[in-house]
Amino acid sequence: MSPATQTVPTDDLAPVPLRPLSVAQPACRFRLRPGDRPLVAAGDHVVLGEPLLERLRDAAAVERRLPLGLPEPSPGDTVEPDQVAPGGVRRGTRTEGPGRVLYLAPGRRLLVAVGRHSDVFPAPFAGTVESVDRVALVLRADGTGLPGAFAAGAASSGRLVVAVERPDAELPASALDVASEGAILVAGARIDVEAISRARAMGVRGLVVGGVVGRDLKAFVASEARQRAGLHTGLPFGLLVLDGFGKRPIPGVLWRALLAAEGHQVAIVGDPALLVLEPTAPLPAPEPETIRVAAGELAGREGRLLALLGRRRLPAGARQHAALVALAADGPGRPALRVALPLSDLERFG
Amino acid sequence: MTDGPLAFFTLDRGTATTAASLLARVEGRFRLLASLAVPTGMDVESLLGSLVETVRGAAPELLDGADDWREWARLECLTHAPGRIVLAAVTERRLAALETAAANAGWEIAGRISPERTDALDASTLLLQPDLDLVAVAAGDPPAVDERERLSDLGALVAAAIGERDDLLCLLAGGAASLTDLLPAQRVLLGPAPDGRPAAEPSPLGELLEQVAARRLPPGLDGAPSSDGRQGFAHSVVSLAALLERRVEGVDVGRSGGMRVLATADGLRARLVRADGALVPDGAPDDDHHVDDVLRWSPVPGDLSALRDRVRNLRLAPWRDASGDGARLRLAAARAALARLDAAWQLADEADGRPGDKAADVLIASGGAFDVAPPPAVGLALVDTLRRPGGIGLYHDHARLLGPLGTLASERDRRRLLADLLEDALVPLGSAVVAAGLRQGRHAGTLRVSSDGSTSELELVPGAIQLIDLPPGLAATVELETREGVWLGVRARRIALHVVGGLCGLLVDTRDVPLRLPERAERRRELLDAWQRPLWPVIDG
Repeated sequence: MSPATQTVPTDDLAPVPLRPLSVAQPACRFRLRPGDRPLVAAGDHVVLGEPLLERLRDAAAVERRLPLGLPEPSPGDTVEPDQVAPGGVRRGTRTEGPGRVLYLAPGRRLLVAVGRHSDVFPAPFAGTVESVDRVALVLRADGTGLPGAFAAGAASSGRLVVAVERPDAELPASALDVASEGAILVAGARIDVEAISRARAMGVRGLVVGGVVGRDLKAFVASEARQRAGLHTGLPFGLLVLDGFGKRPIPGVLWRALLAAEGHQVAIVGDPALLVLEPTAPLPAPEPETIRVAAGELAGREGRLLALLGRRRLPAGARQHAALVALAADGPGRPALRVALPLSDLERFG
Repeated sequence: MTDGPLAFFTLDRGTATTAASLLARVEGRFRLLASLAVPTGMDVESLLGSLVETVRGAAPELLDGADDWREWARLECLTHAPGRIVLAAVTERRLAALETAAANAGWEIAGRISPERTDALDASTLLLQPDLDLVAVAAGDPPAVDERERLSDLGALVAAAIGERDDLLCLLAGGAASLTDLLPAQRVLLGPAPDGRPAAEPSPLGELLEQVAARRLPPGLDGAPSSDGRQGFAHSVVSLAALLERRVEGVDVGRSGGMRVLATADGLRARLVRADGALVPDGAPDDDHHVDDVLRWSPVPGDLSALRDRVRNLRLAPWRDASGDGARLRLAAARAALARLDAAWQLADEADGRPGDKAADVLIASGGAFDVAPPPAVGLALVDTLRRPGGIGLYHDHARLLGPLGTLASERDRRRLLADLLEDALVPLGSAVVAAGLRQGRHAGTLRVSSDGSTSELELVPGAIQLIDLPPGLAATVELETREGVWLGVRARRIALHVVGGLCGLLVDTRDVPLRLPERAERRRELLDAWQRPLWPVIDG
């Protein structure tokens, strides 16, 4: 058998960069802003949808003089409207509503973050509260996380629906309707801002895509910021990008994992960027011998490594370590192919 | 005692790639036998094993009895992602001076607090960010009149926000030391007040900030405290300057930041480390400004939106897309990073009152940014961005040895090793002569290159790049003769320079200093392509 017709032993795949398929029981962080109030404590176990924290929507700093004789509050202490110490308001008008102490300035000037409107942020997945402080709440999931490249929007949860037929397909805006309400949709290789907006309007709770065009991502982030600034915020909506910018087919093993998890409750979280699966969702094992092209014109194609070629001069570049790979046919105009590629453009899942 | 060869490894563990080298004593001096760079996260032992196997395959006699290679010494350094800092001062003037010190010590500025720009809520929000490493509060020493009154307010704000955070240090600079009692003692660092020195000028506060940044390094592979790769690089440049008795400049561009350092035979002259000196800065995925900075240098045609996404992907996985147009796009990103380093390169005046002397005899490029481009293209990228009139020798630290070698504690050992490894560690890219101010005309001037008994002469072309074959190892004298004079640091009609050869030969550049590029995107791209295309071996399409 010539080197060009046999695949290399799995051990020889070491030079191909390894990408983790999943993270068991990931710890996810939810940021707290100065007025936000946690509703759970470290060690608590929470179920999906249980209130985690109360977010002030229209926080503002107000300053009050703390009368002599009253004990000095600590930074982060919760303040209820009827508990605020009496005194003349020197700055700010929105003094009604709950908040948290920012700090006590010299001259017994008490600075408090307060707001009239707040939203309860529910747990997007079941897990155990690992820590809570003024900076963040860390929740360790009971289930498994599928890492993405990055996420945008808010943490959200819903049942997983695979809305495209192939990992390299795109979900058009016209395919979205109210039947998807409450779901997290797997939307293929790319989604545009029109489809994102329509998904949100239809009550979809989140989207999982291979890639997104930077321009569309910026439009989505700006739209999210406007939503947050509004008095009537919508339901949380998250976008998880699995692979990067532009059109990026969902990697085969991730696609199979998403198909297997369809119908289960999942959550999109941003820190780290993950799709969190519930513990009962099945997770197929990666195929150790499968390699994937992660960059260049053949990005998204998968196949087998045939041979390591050592350093080769590649188009328009210096010499790089390359490998001969056999790519499987995966659709019209994409026949099976044998090609030398830079090792750094390949990846495998483990 | 073993009978094996006297050999050791170097490891430069960056945030995108790890570069490993195998060095051994051959015929009385240390030589670089093999080197390799792979994406970070790959198993280091198999990386080192592959270096040993490579040498055994090519020259087995060099590694006789090398079965115990796992026991060989390793000189290891790390480059880390920039730390995130929030800056606070009661006046904008002090805040600006503090920012100069922090930004040029490699910190990423995560927020600025002053009474003039932030209210209590905004300031608390900045101080309660996750992934923050340091809060720096500065005041004059002693505090100025306008600082005294509001400093205690600022102290209460900072103390309240960081009091409960075990993950955060607080640097009190200058008169802000009066706030010490408000903060947990174990998390307070005291430093000098920012003195407003130019960005690249070493300052006590800048040095302290670099030391604090180095504390964030994770342990080495053996669990011991690790050494900072950028500090190592700077030490090596200083040692080289002393060894060669030349002015040596080094630039390092990687995924997490960039560094520029200038040393003379007397020691360090200037240095800076900047988070925005990274190949593609951290904010690029959200900020078109950074992305478009790269595309301004790009000769790659195509849809703007798709090119922007390729640049963003370069931030996510900088080791990928390194052939074809991807390699040219990566070098465009390197150019943008070098241009940012150049913009920050401000030196104080010399002792005699002249403007700070930025000239160097030798320029060394290092870092993953330059790994996949042909040497002539790297040479031109350096000349395009770090422009100054005169002649300079260009080198590439291709195996990323300077960082690890700079971690050697003994200056003497470092110089000895560098002397041995000079030819192996530094690939000579060639020499560049940047001659500004050449006027258009029938006969702008002539260039005469004399080397090894032979002389060649050619016509100087204003506003152009001319490449003259001058192989590595060959020294030459270059004479420029012009009718109306040319500017090479001094203006003269006839100037002679000594140059050395390299892989791109001698590069004679008569374009403007600084380089002027057309504003219209397509014209600019075509011009960049015309300059760069001859330097790439094969360009598809």
